[in-house]
Amino acid sequence: MKSTILYEVSKFLIPIIQLFGIYIIFHGHLSPGGGFAGGTIIGAGLILYRIVFGEEKAQEKLKYTKLLNLMCGSLITYGILKGYSFIVGGSNVHLFDIPLGKPGDILSGGLILPLNICVGIVVSVVIYFLFNLFYEGEI
Amino acid sequence: MIARNFPLLTIMILLICSFIMPIVKEAKTFKKLSIISMGASVVLNISTLIYIKYDGSFFYRVGHWDAPWGIELHIGMIEIIIGILFTLVASLVIWYSFYSVDTEIPKEKIRFYYLLINILIASLLGIVYSNDLFNSFVFIEVSTLASCGIVVIKDKKENIKATLKYLILSILGSGLFLMGIAFIYSITGNLNMTFIHNELAEIYIKYQNTILISLALFTVGLGVKSAMFPLHIWLPDAHSNAPSTSSALLSALVLKAFVFMLIKILLRVFSLEIVIQYRVLDLLLILGSIGMIFGSVLAIMQKNIKRVIAYSSVAQMGYIFYGIGLGNSLGLTISIFHIISHALTKSTLFLAVGSMMEQTGKNLSDLKGIGKEMPVTLGIFTIGAFSMVGIPILPGFISKWYFALATIDASKLIYLGVILLSSLLNAVYYFPIIINGYFGEENLKGKVFMSKNKPVKELLPVLILTVGIILVGIFNKGIINAINKSLI
Repeated sequence: MKSTILYEVSKFLIPIIQLFGIYIIFHGHLSPGGGFAGGTIIGAGLILYRIVFGEEKAQEKLKYTKLLNLMCGSLITYGILKGYSFIVGGSNVHLFDIPLGKPGDILSGGLILPLNICVGIVVSVVIYFLFNLFYEGEI
Repeated sequence: MIARNFPLLTIMILLICSFIMPIVKEAKTFKKLSIISMGASVVLNISTLIYIKYDGSFFYRVGHWDAPWGIELHIGMIEIIIGILFTLVASLVIWYSFYSVDTEIPKEKIRFYYLLINILIASLLGIVYSNDLFNSFVFIEVSTLASCGIVVIKDKKENIKATLKYLILSILGSGLFLMGIAFIYSITGNLNMTFIHNELAEIYIKYQNTILISLALFTVGLGVKSAMFPLHIWLPDAHSNAPSTSSALLSALVLKAFVFMLIKILLRVFSLEIVIQYRVLDLLLILGSIGMIFGSVLAIMQKNIKRVIAYSSVAQMGYIFYGIGLGNSLGLTISIFHIISHALTKSTLFLAVGSMMEQTGKNLSDLKGIGKEMPVTLGIFTIGAFSMVGIPILPGFISKWYFALATIDASKLIYLGVILLSSLLNAVYYFPIIINGYFGEENLKGKVFMSKNKPVKELLPVLILTVGIILVGIFNKGIINAINKSLI
């Protein structure tokens, strides 16, 4: 898509969209939002990048294997973190727990923040992949 | 004590290992990972079985929250037997798939195939173990998507068509299941099965219509997914077009998990005393017997060998629904025993047919004289077919025998004729394949002995499954007693 206005505006807009997505992910345990909502917003930013800057440039920056590894990595992290919490809670042993912190701080709420980050990564990558599958038939 | 964690650990190991597969580079590594994770689950499940044998069944609290708020798993003898069955059959099918996957699935998709199998088995185990209705619903959704994935992975035109049909109907099924949960939640205020059960015992007189609606929704929703007779239309397409290893998994395990979920809902959520007052069991009995006959009749009319076996699944699922519909404890016990026997038999049949189809064609006429070219494979097929028809010692005979006893117990003697007729119809479509394979001057003309036989290494997993069929037949008393004891 070649249009100077679109090009310049999205250059300015995409970082703001992504920053907003990150903000929502990091405040998931304090205010409405969370991993899924923030992930969708970041994914929307990636989709905008792909539409405006074209396939070649997007594939250079957002390589398929890199995104896939990132997604699988966060799924594994999620599984291990939550699985640890499940097993520890289920068998009634008191091992190491993430400190809860002061309510209202960003670094509080135990496992919620790291899990939200994992969900955010997975959702943003999946949204981007889904769009590409339906838009161009391949990722 | 530590064995209590194993069922949850099984599900987690399978799920986590499945997402390591896209990261690793070598094809060998993720194949190894897949078989190792599945084998580890078999070992963990067997050690849980030993624990349960001495210490009895237990509830496992998942996470830090107690029952009505948190999720619970209920692990009893039946659950763990089915868990072992699922993981064992899955690991043998994965082992077999190492030799056949390259010919059936595009190369770049093989790693996703193993990923989907791991997710599928984990979600099926989740359905079997979970004691929480909504948690089961989530696992049902995951298993639906994963099972659609292993059908469509072949990437041919007819696969996509079959998968769309399968996807739409099974999403409809899970939607109905969710509606059922909504109705039951609105009158009891709980999602945990034990708590719903206690609540229902007090209030069921007040809310008879709501209970009827939700029972019907559960039955039809899970009936679509486990191919109850008039709702089976997706099954022949999906099972016959999928790669043969997928068909083995779909037919042997996926259908069984949903029917087991139905048994759990009828027994543990509503309890038989409440269910008997409605006509749901009669519905299951009638649809089951129609399925037993018409599944076989439709199988006789097919020309494609995989469609024959797929329709035979419809007939065998009919037996399971029939056993539930009888409404006595013997009927339910034998339904669960039939789940085990059919899972082993059907996976054997699909794998044997898969290796025959690789060498010849997919039509029944191509298989004439195959007994001279592939005697061992057809021998395995013969044992599976004998079990389906009901030749003594094999588990198919045992379950038919006890189905007949349970029918007499329930004093519904007319239905004995249905069992007899269905067994005879089974013979009508299985025996011609075997007879045309081994005998007949014309059929064997020009065939070279053992010319297409597979090496023993590749047949080993199927042989182990065959041994499993015979062992289940021999030790039927012990298995049936264990199921019966744990049912009440």
